[in-house]
Amino acid sequence: MDKSYAVLPCNGLDKCAGSVTREIALRLLKKTDSKIICPVFFRVSDSRYGKLAQEKPLLVLDGCATRCASKLAAEKGLKIDERINVSDMAKEENIALGLDLTLNAEAQTLVERTVAGLLSSSETVAVDQEGAAHAFFPACLSYETFQKDKFIFRLPVDEGFYFNENDVWAYVSGTHARIGVTDFVQKSLSDIMFFTPTAVGAEIEQFDDLGTVESGKAVFEIISPVSGIVTSINEKLIDAPEMLNQNPYEQGWIAEIELSDFAEDRNLLHTFSGYLPIMKRKVTEFHV
Amino acid sequence: MSETTFMGVTRDRIDWSPRIDYDKCNDCMECDEFCPHDVFEVREDQSPKLIVKNPENCVVFCRACAKTCGPDAITFPNKNETTAYIKQIRKGEAAGG
Ligand code: SF4
Ligand code: SF4
Repeated sequence: MDKSYAVLPCNGLDKCAGSVTREIALRLLKKTDSKIICPVFFRVSDSRYGKLAQEKPLLVLDGCATRCASKLAAEKGLKIDERINVSDMAKEENIALGLDLTLNAEAQTLVERTVAGLLSSSETVAVDQEGAAHAFFPACLSYETFQKDKFIFRLPVDEGFYFNENDVWAYVSGTHARIGVTDFVQKSLSDIMFFTPTAVGAEIEQFDDLGTVESGKAVFEIISPVSGIVTSINEKLIDAPEMLNQNPYEQGWIAEIELSDFAEDRNLLHTFSGYLPIMKRKVTEFHV
Repeated sequence: MSETTFMGVTRDRIDWSPRIDYDKCNDCMECDEFCPHDVFEVREDQSPKLIVKNPENCVVFCRACAKTCGPDAITFPNKNETTAYIKQIRKGEAAGG
């Protein structure tokens, strides 16, 4: 059994599910050559775990829907290889996690099953279930990153990404595009609390708005890089707008559009190499 | 401050900023409170109280403040004309070298 991970549990002490993440992490440590990333220490020190996260595939264990561990990984710019949400697992396995903070027999069963599942699965589970449904979007993106103060900014280098100067991206494939905002938007707004989408079926011209995202600091109009008809919006963002902060390029996408005239739209869009210096300039000029 | 551009066109050549219809405006100042880009200026004891002081600070194609305006006093230039104009300048400059 040579499978091993860099394991980042949320280790939430005030919830049973949080304690379960800890147990899973400890069990993995015992059974494999996995190493633990302590979330509390990671918050205050990057150097300790940075290398570890590069050496081993990163497994993130969230206890509940607040997803503190995922958020921490996203903040630190780490690529998540596998992710487990204990509350979801419990639901799937029909196990009721009680309010009791010490693990009962049922919780132990959940730990065992999760560990067994992790060690038997030969392939990494796709993190973004939603992405699989929309087949045209790449399962895995590559990023260029740069840093300002303690913040890390990412920009996907993959071909097919276009950007307007209003900091909105479009990933174009054939006659369809997926739309989202860039890391600059997400970071300058900080914690995003509301996503107000436009309607599915709406006819959009280039530079029309596709709704707004809002944090305690400001409201941002999502200005469409392309023209066409809105075929879907990311419904999950309405309940969990924080996904935009976690990754605005993957699970935090905004909408999908059936393109009407991309050849024309493209005249007023940048590719990666054109937008990167613009985003860098905006980041430098932005004062938190 | 460095010269700003939008899609390679210097910002001062692009006419994009809010237009206030003073017949409708009721001086509520929602728009100014909303916009983070220092576009408006509020002048106490003057009429009109609200002016667009820094039109070039306005984000090209943003129209967000218009939505905050109850009496619908804010309008913007025509987006398609602006888009066409930007394209035209870019083409001209590409041709001119
Ligand atoms: S929001 Fe509208 S009514 Fe209020 S000050 Fe601005 S322009 Fe005038
Ligand atoms: S359009 Fe946007 S940037 Fe321009 S003044 Fe209104 S809110 Fe500010």
